[in-house]
Parts: sequence; C-alpha cells; structure tokens
Amino acid sequence: MSITLQLLFTGLGIGSIYALVALGFVLIYRATNVVNFAQGDFSMIGAFLMVVFAVDMGLPYWLSAVIAIAAMAGFGILFNYGVYYPLRHRTFLPVVISTIGASILLQNGVLAAYGPHPQSLPAMLPFPGIAVGGVFLDSQYLLILAVTGAMVVLQYLFFERTMLGKKLQATSQDKEMASLLGIPVALMIGITFAYSAVLGGLAGILVAPLLFVSINMGSTIALKAFAASIIGGFGDVTGAIVGGLALGVVETFGAAYISVPYKDGFAFLVLFLFLMVRPQGVFGEKVAEKA
Amino acid sequence: MTDATLSHPAPASNRGAIAGGIVLAVLAAALAVLPLTMTLSAYVLNMLMQAVTYTVAVLGLTVVLGYTGQLSLAQAAFFGIGAYAVALGTVDYGLGFWLSMVLGLAASAVAGAVLGLTSLRIGGHYLAMVTIAFQQIVTLVLVNSIDVTHGPDGVSGIARPNLPGVSLANAKAYLTFCIVVLYAVGLAVWYLRRTRLGRAMQAVRDNELAAGVVGVNTYRTKVVAFTISAILGGLGGALFASGFSYISPDQFSFAESVVFLTMALIGGVQSAFGTALGTGLLILLPEWLRFLKEIYLAIYGLSVILIMVFMPEGIWGLLERIAHVGGGRPAVVTPRPFRLDIPDSGPADILETRGLAKHFGGLRAVDGVDLKVERGSVHALIGPNGSGKTTLLNVLSGLYRPTGGSVSLAGRDITRLAPHERCAAGVGRTFQNIRLFRSLSILDNVLIGAQRPGAPAKGEAALRERAFEALGFVGLADKASELVGSLPYGHQRLVEIARALAGNPTLLLLDEPAAGLNPTEKQELVELLRRLKGHGLTIFLIDHDMAMVERIADHITVLNFGKRIAEGTPRDVLRHPAVIAAYLGEVPTHGAA
Amino acid sequence: MTKYGLTALLLCGALTLAASQSIAAETLKIGVVAPVTGPAAESGRFQVNGAKLAAEEVNKAGGVLGKQLELVIEDDQTTNPGAVLAFSKLAGDSDIPAFIGSIRSTQVHAMAPDVIKTGKPMMIGGTDPKLTHMGNPWLFRFRPNDTYSARVIAEYGVNVLKRKKWAIVHSTDAFGTAGKNALADQLKALGAETVITQGYTNNSQDFTPVALAVKAAGAEILSSYVTFETDQGILAKQMRQLGVDLPWIGSTTISTTSALRLAGPALNGTWGVTDFAEKSSPASEAFSQKYMAAYNTKADVFSAWPYDAVTVLAKAINDAGSTDPEKIRAALMAISGFAGAEGTYDFDQNGDGLHGYNIVHNDNGTIVFERRIDFKD
Repeated sequence: MSITLQLLFTGLGIGSIYALVALGFVLIYRATNVVNFAQGDFSMIGAFLMVVFAVDMGLPYWLSAVIAIAAMAGFGILFNYGVYYPLRHRTFLPVVISTIGASILLQNGVLAAYGPHPQSLPAMLPFPGIAVGGVFLDSQYLLILAVTGAMVVLQYLFFERTMLGKKLQATSQDKEMASLLGIPVALMIGITFAYSAVLGGLAGILVAPLLFVSINMGSTIALKAFAASIIGGFGDVTGAIVGGLALGVVETFGAAYISVPYKDGFAFLVLFLFLMVRPQGVFGEKVAEKA
Repeated sequence: MTDATLSHPAPASNRGAIAGGIVLAVLAAALAVLPLTMTLSAYVLNMLMQAVTYTVAVLGLTVVLGYTGQLSLAQAAFFGIGAYAVALGTVDYGLGFWLSMVLGLAASAVAGAVLGLTSLRIGGHYLAMVTIAFQQIVTLVLVNSIDVTHGPDGVSGIARPNLPGVSLANAKAYLTFCIVVLYAVGLAVWYLRRTRLGRAMQAVRDNELAAGVVGVNTYRTKVVAFTISAILGGLGGALFASGFSYISPDQFSFAESVVFLTMALIGGVQSAFGTALGTGLLILLPEWLRFLKEIYLAIYGLSVILIMVFMPEGIWGLLERIAHVGGGRPAVVTPRPFRLDIPDSGPADILETRGLAKHFGGLRAVDGVDLKVERGSVHALIGPNGSGKTTLLNVLSGLYRPTGGSVSLAGRDITRLAPHERCAAGVGRTFQNIRLFRSLSILDNVLIGAQRPGAPAKGEAALRERAFEALGFVGLADKASELVGSLPYGHQRLVEIARALAGNPTLLLLDEPAAGLNPTEKQELVELLRRLKGHGLTIFLIDHDMAMVERIADHITVLNFGKRIAEGTPRDVLRHPAVIAAYLGEVPTHGAA
Repeated sequence: MTKYGLTALLLCGALTLAASQSIAAETLKIGVVAPVTGPAAESGRFQVNGAKLAAEEVNKAGGVLGKQLELVIEDDQTTNPGAVLAFSKLAGDSDIPAFIGSIRSTQVHAMAPDVIKTGKPMMIGGTDPKLTHMGNPWLFRFRPNDTYSARVIAEYGVNVLKRKKWAIVHSTDAFGTAGKNALADQLKALGAETVITQGYTNNSQDFTPVALAVKAAGAEILSSYVTFETDQGILAKQMRQLGVDLPWIGSTTISTTSALRLAGPALNGTWGVTDFAEKSSPASEAFSQKYMAAYNTKADVFSAWPYDAVTVLAKAINDAGSTDPEKIRAALMAISGFAGAEGTYDFDQNGDGLHGYNIVHNDNGTIVFERRIDFKD
C-alpha cells in the first residue's frame, strides 16, 4: 500500500512538471497554431537564470525566482519577435523548423556562455520532506504540486475573470474576429509567448533542485509534455494538466511494475493506444472542418 | 502519347522540372564520377557518404510531407530499421548485404504502412505525435533488446556489398554506388509527382476534403505515401550502415528525425532537388562553421531560423520562384468537344434519400429528409441560412456519415460509401468556399478529377485529353498551365466544375455555385448549367439567388430547420405559404414573387 | 541558379581541402577528438584540459623530436557520425602521427574502422573490453577496462566488506550493461548472490521505482554502474530519501567531482572504484596539484587519462625517434612500469595499459583513497 502511494506521489510530482510545460505548449498552440519545439528550452533557460541569480550572485531565493520569472517573460517576448513574428503569415512547418533552430541556438548558446557543467540548485524549502506512514513526501515535489495547483487556479481566474484574459482567449479563438473587435492581436500573441515562457521557466526552476540544471534538461520533459498535451486534447488547458498528471502516474507505475528501462516507452505506448481509441483527446480539440 | 498531348507545351511547373531534371542528370553524373577521379580525403569522403545516404532517407520525407502533406517525425526510426537489418543480417546472421537489405526494406515498409493505417483515425499533429511515439519505441527497443540488437554497444564490422564482378569495399567505389542509388531514387521521386499517384498525394496535401470528393482514396494514398517514405528511409539506413560499418542506437533517435525534417524543409520539401540541397547543406553547414569553435552549433541554429525567415519555402522553393518570374506560355491547343458518358438505363429517380438525418449532438441539422431527384433534371435545394442545406450536401457526397436514413444513387445504396467511392459511383460536387488544390496548375487540378477510379479515361495521354475537354467546356483551356491561385474568383469556380466534370459524373452537386459571381459571370454560369443539362447530366444545386434558381431549376426542394417543408416546380414552391413564412426576415433576392 | 549551387559545392570542396592542408610543420601535431558540444560536453572540457596540461609540460621539457607539441582539437558533438567526421578530418592531416580518442566507448567503436584504415595509433579512454579485443592494433587504452572494475567491486565487497547479498543498479547503455554482466559473473565466482538487478535508461528523471524495488529486495549491499553524473545525483538522493541505507560501491561516476557536487551528502559513506584517485600514488598526487593550479578545479578521471595519454604518447614518439606509426606502436607496446596519474602503465598485447582499480571512500564529501587492487592478467 505504501509503495503504491509512494509511486502515486512521485508520479503526480513528475506529472505536474509535464503539465506546466504542456500548458505552455497548449497556450502557444492555441494562439498561433504552432507547436513550439523550443518549449523545453524555456525550462532550461529558466533554471539557468535561477542558478545565475541564486547561486552565482547569491541573491535570496525568492528574489532570484522573481527576477528569473520576470526575465522569462521578457525572453518570451524576444522569442516571439525573433522566431515566430517574422513567420506569422507562413504555414505551420516553417515556423516549426524555426523553433527547432531556436532550440539548437538556445542550447548551444547557453553551452558557450555557461559551460557544460551541470549545476545543482539547493532545495527551495528548508526541510527535505515529510514521512507519512511509509511514504516519503519530498518537499520539492510538494512545492511543485502546490505551485502547479496554484497556477491552474490563477490561470483560470485570469482567463475567465480579467479583461486581458478574455482578450487573449478571443485572440486564440478567432484572430480575424478579435482584430475586428479592436483587440491588438500581435500584442496578445506577444503576451501569450511571454506567459508561456514564464510557465516553462517556472517548471525549470521548480524541477532544478530535483533533476539538476543542464543544457538538455528540457528536451525529455518537453517531449513528454507534448505527449501530455495530445492526450489531453491539443489546445485544451484542462486537458494539458490532466494529460500531464496522467502521464507522470502511468510512467511511474509502468516503471515500477513492468520495466524500468522501458519507462519512456509507456508514455508513448499509452499515447498511441489512446489516439487510436479516442483521437480527439480526453477533452477533445474543437476541430470541425466546414465543407 | 497522342498528338493532342504532344502539341501541348509543358506547363510552367513541368518546364522548370524538366530543366531541373537535366540539371540533376548532369550533377548526378558529375558527382557519381567525382569520387573516382579526385583524390578525396577521408574527411570529405565521409561527409559525402553521410550526405548521400541521408538524402535517400530525406527523399522519403519529400514523398510523405512534401507531396502528401503528412508530418512524419519517425524518419530516423525507418533509417534505423534499414541500418539494423543490414548490420544484424550481415554481422550476426550471415545473410549477406542484399538479402539483409531487402528484409530491412520489407520491415520498414510494414512499419510505414502500419503508421499510415493509423491515419484512418488520426490526422494533423496527432498523426505527427503517433510518429513520435513510434520513433521513441523503436529507439527504446534498439537500446534495450540487447540480445538482438547488441543494445547501446551498437553493431560494428558491417561489411560492404559486392556487385557482380565489382567490389564495393573501397570507399570511393561504394560512394559511387550510393550516388547511383541516390540518382535512381531522386529521379523516381521527382517523376512520382507527375504520376496519378503523385497527383493524388498532392491533392490530399492541398485539400484532403476535396481530394476525397473528386475520387482520391485519401486513406490509401496516405498509407502508400507512408510506406514509400519508410522504404526510402530504410534504404538510406541500409546504405549508411555499410558505408560507416558501425551503427548504434543514438544515431536513430528522435533528435535525428528532427534533423531529417529540418533537412527536408530547409532545402524545400516539395522538391527532390530541394531535399538534396537541404541535406547537403545541413551536413556541410556545421562542418564549415567548425572554425567558430564553441559557438558554432549556436550559429548553426541561428542559420536555421534565418533560412526559414527569409526562405520559408526552403532554398529550392526560393530558387524556383526566381526561375518562375518569367511566367508560363499560354497553351495552344484546341481540345476536342466535351462528352459525357451517362448510362440511359436505371430508375427515373437518379438520387433518392429516405429519412436522411444528421445530428450534431442535440442539433438536428438534417432531420428525416425524403428526397427524389429525377434523372436529367436540374433540382435546386433552397432554404434560409442554417436550414441544413450544406449539411445535406455533405451527407450526400459522403463527407458526413448520416445519423439515420439512406441514400441511393441510380437504385444502388450508397449510404455507407466513402466520398471517393461515391465519386467513383458517379457523384461529382463543388464547394461553396472553393476547394481547389492551390499549389497545382489548373490542368493538374482537372487531371485529378479525370483520374477518378472507374472513369473512362485511362492512361496519361487519355487523362490529359479528357482534362482539356473539360477545361474547353468551361472555356479555360488556354489557361491550363497557370496556377489556380492566380485565377480570378469566377474562374476558380469554373475550374472546380471542370474538375468534377472531367471525372464523368452522372450527378453533379453544386454548393452555391453563383456565390460571389458578378451578373455577367452568373449569366455564363446559367448557360453552362443549361449546356450540361443538354448533355444529360443531373444537377442538384444549392443557391440563394432565387432569380437564378427560378430560371434554371426544374424542381425545387425547400429545407427549414433540417426538415423538408415544400417541394415542386419553382412556380408552385416559391408561392407556398410555408416557404414565404420560412423566408420572413430573410428577403429572397427574387423580386417577382 | 544551379550554377551558383555548383559553384558553392565546388567552393566547399576547395575549402575543406584547403583546410586539411597544413602550411608548415614547425610543430608536432596530435589530433584530439573530444565532445566539446552535446550531452558529454562536460567530460569533453576535462579531456581537453588534461591533454593541454600534459602538452604544456612536454613542451617545457623540450617537446617531442625537438618540436613543440600542438593539440588539434575537433568536436565529436557526442555523436557517432560527429566522431567519424571529426576523426576523418584529423586523419586527413598527414602531419598528425597519432590521436587522442574519446572516453565514450560507442564513439571509439564508430571511429575504429577509420582508425584501422588510417593506420596510426589512437589513445582511447573508452572502457568497453571489446575495444581492444577486436583485432584493431591501433587502439591503446589508458584506463583499465570494465572487467577490472567488476572484479575490484566484487573482490572488495565480498572479501573486505563481507557482504553476500547484492543489489545491482545499472544504466542500460553499453557501459552499464557490460559492467552489470561482468559483476554478476564475478559475484557468482566469489560465491555471493545477486538478489536484484535494476536497469534504467540514461537521463532518467526519477528513480523511485528503482529505489523501492531495491529496498524491498533484502540486499546487504548496493552496487551501481551509472554513466552520467546527473543520474548518479538523482539516484543517490532518492535512494537515501526512500530509506535505502545499504553500503554502496559504485562505478567511477560515484566519486567524480560533479557527482559529489550534485548529490551532496547523499553519497556520503559510499565506496567507489576509480581508475584515478588523488592519493593513490605520488604521480597521481603530483598531477592533481598541477591540475588544481592550472584550472582551479579538482582533477578527475576525465582529465587524468588524456593527461597520461599525451605524456605517454610523447614519450613513445621520443623513444621511437620517429613519427612512423609502426615505430610509435612498437614504442607504446614497450612502455613498462610507467607511473602515470591513472596508475602504472604496462601495455599488454591487446593495447590495454592498466590492469587494476583504486577503491576510494566518500568521507563526508571528501574522497579518500583506500587501496589499489591490481591484477596480473
């Protein structure tokens, strides 16, 4: 029993990270119809910024996190103008390749600037974790779960209750209509990139004490997050979160009870079967092509 | 080939392609001989070997992505299947290169076909995700099935093949062999674009919905595209394995699939030459940039972004556009008069529906409609906006599965048939928002209509002739070589009609054919429909222009809230109180009611 | 348009040809293939540093055959095709008489066919035993191969620590799998029992299932073959968090500088086998001090083996009195009792220079040398 609970806890923790990155994917996809292959590198950049501020410059943790997240927002806007905006009128594929190019540039740029050594970041909470029964709840995982939960609530309030959130939603649903209504579409897309970068960066910062900070830390996470967003129904915010959590749990249990080396395969096997049975995802992307 | 085809000059796109073909021939010949004549360092030889074998695999992406528009992120997996087949076959099982390669290609083909089969249920980025899933699983198996694959150690000591009388053990000889294979594959891929299959692929890419309706079996086309692509991936991998004599799983990872994709897109994925160019460039670029030391891969990433920003169609796409600025010459060809081959026998009602229904959740868009369309008549379907007209048409052409009821064509039940099967049965249609294959020429658009299964025209020459007949009928034969995107709106409608006509339909469904036309064009359309009626074609159309409907329709059915509310001759129906009531608030353009 | 394409192509050919020509041979060049970028970029940095340190010393001592040593470094991008291209680029330079290869076995495998064709010696750090047992006369290994690490782990755990029930955790890559197999064999030979074996793929983010399985298996001692420091760090932290407090002997990674920094106290009290240990010999100690002075970082195996490789290679070329590959090869084979940072070099007929390992202990974050175990065969 305690083993099951332990696995469930870990699965949800890892799944939360997938969910945060998947959210970033989905938001950008909804706003621009682009799958951003550099999404994982947002996490990597966020984590490195945290190392720079908290470890190298010795700033307090909370301050470092605030600066890093603010910097990520700026980075998202920069990314928009450098990678997406010049190609906004193009089809899907050139933009995708452009984000692939950005991913190569970011990873190797950081490598050139910071060197290849993986960095460690001390845990954010002052205690290692809590043991409940036979289950060890790692403090960092607890923090991740809490932050993900908070982000989900905040995001819901933001999109449903604020004018800016509604404008963003309108933009992602119908750009032409939004622009007719006087919503500055380009700005909205810029904000979406900023927010998506913040989510990615946040995931990177949260996961850094667990997985360490390295150039390729984002790649695996991003691939899983992409799978998570598909399982959830691409373009659906709730789906991304549920998909992320489900993936984390399935993968952890699969590793424990079937095979550890094939761990990464379970996610994709589940995805494959899932798509065959329910191609529109759990929550279903609203794609009705009109004849 | 008949005279009619020979006298017809190649369309602009073909002309460029032929010039390109000559360039390819010269270049390939030069390249094939090059390694034999020059002293090349091992470095250059290895680079060329990598470029050549990769290009073979990336050409697979030209077929599946460039031609068919399906994003595949598993090309490295197929590359790996081919490579491992040769590696394990020659090293562990002593099967020899050729047999191992054939087995590898067969395995790739099966895997590719299976991926393609999933496209029955899944499209777009979901299909892309399935390919990623497949890619990941292949990588995991290569790494973890140590007993079979040697695991992460990889396989070393892979031998090179021999041709009868020629040893390919020498790197130069082997490279020459690979270049010859590449040449053959490149030519085949280049030529594929001009075949029935190639056109069907491009139709699926440009507009899958319309492709089905004009008779392309979109599902089979995608499966074939995936299979071809997988075979080419496997072939490239087989050549690669022998070329480098050592392989390991990390060479066939997801990251490599992304590299393959980037290669295809950088060069220009819709062209075999672009693919070769992109692959060569992406292998050479990081090598050239080596002098930049630590930052060279970062610069490489930047270059990828810049190429996409400034050349979104790829480098070859840009070159082609520059080469095309001159424009195409007009075709000088007098097509033979248009014929329609319509069987006289069969029931008087060519189309009949019984209790036809289509519900979207709670919305009853079409709600139990009984309909009879008389052979040889012009039958109009009218109704206020949102009354379910287009939905009904979509059910008739097979785009929607009906929720209930049946459809029969000339006495045959077609309720369960897919769009392309209905097309084969003789149903042609056009769309309200024009759905042409935008990147193709007018001729190619109509050719795709002409080549529908079961059509009388067989063979490339007959197909062309048929396409010209249909174009001549709508008065666009002289514009055959132009791209459809360059045509004015009215002409695009005519191309859509010609595309349907070329397939020799017995029933033509027109969805608001007059929408967006000016009065002169409307008049021309009316004339055209009358001429078609003269050919014995049954026409079923939706339109809002009551004046026009009144002039050409023999019979009118009125739909409101998904139900039939009136039916009869134009005179009777337009005075029917229920019809007037239904239109209250939406004044018909018909003035004399 | 095609004219430009062709011109570009020819230009590229010309450039690469030009690049491979050298101007004049005032220096004696040694080619180094190292992962400057990619997943192993970190070890690449150490490799280059170690090689440079040795080259500087050789040059201060008068160089090789009267010339200054010059290292020509090419990036293998931590990929096999990258390694092949990097090596063949170096091999194209006829002034380079010998090469320093990779520490990663798979990349050495990838380069091996070209090394045979080139017919010049390459010093390697990959520890897959097969590398020197596949009939390639040009590979010289500057680290003990993995059969020795398994023997040392089993020997120390069974005979010194007196533990009979073993848990093995290993990466499923080439290194980890070969190590796991060798260790299982050695344990059986020594009469110990392997109660659980758990493999994982590199760059795993989570080891909870592994830790829980080990915990449940009732082992008396844990042994590990881990490839990457990040994995080692996460594994250690989660093992300790989930209550696995067994004595632990790990392969080399467990005592590397990066692993210690990443894992922190989670690795305290563990043993590691390592080919390089600071206090294992005067030569090792001297190297460590020089490395610290030069780079202000602790030396580890990634820098020790290339340091030895360059030093020994320079000595061999000087002994041979020529850059003729056959003569260098003969001189390398003749090296005997050479005290390097990694141990004492005696090349056997396969090209293996070292035949034993050090056991080190992690004493609250400090790596302490315990003993050296060498084998005669």
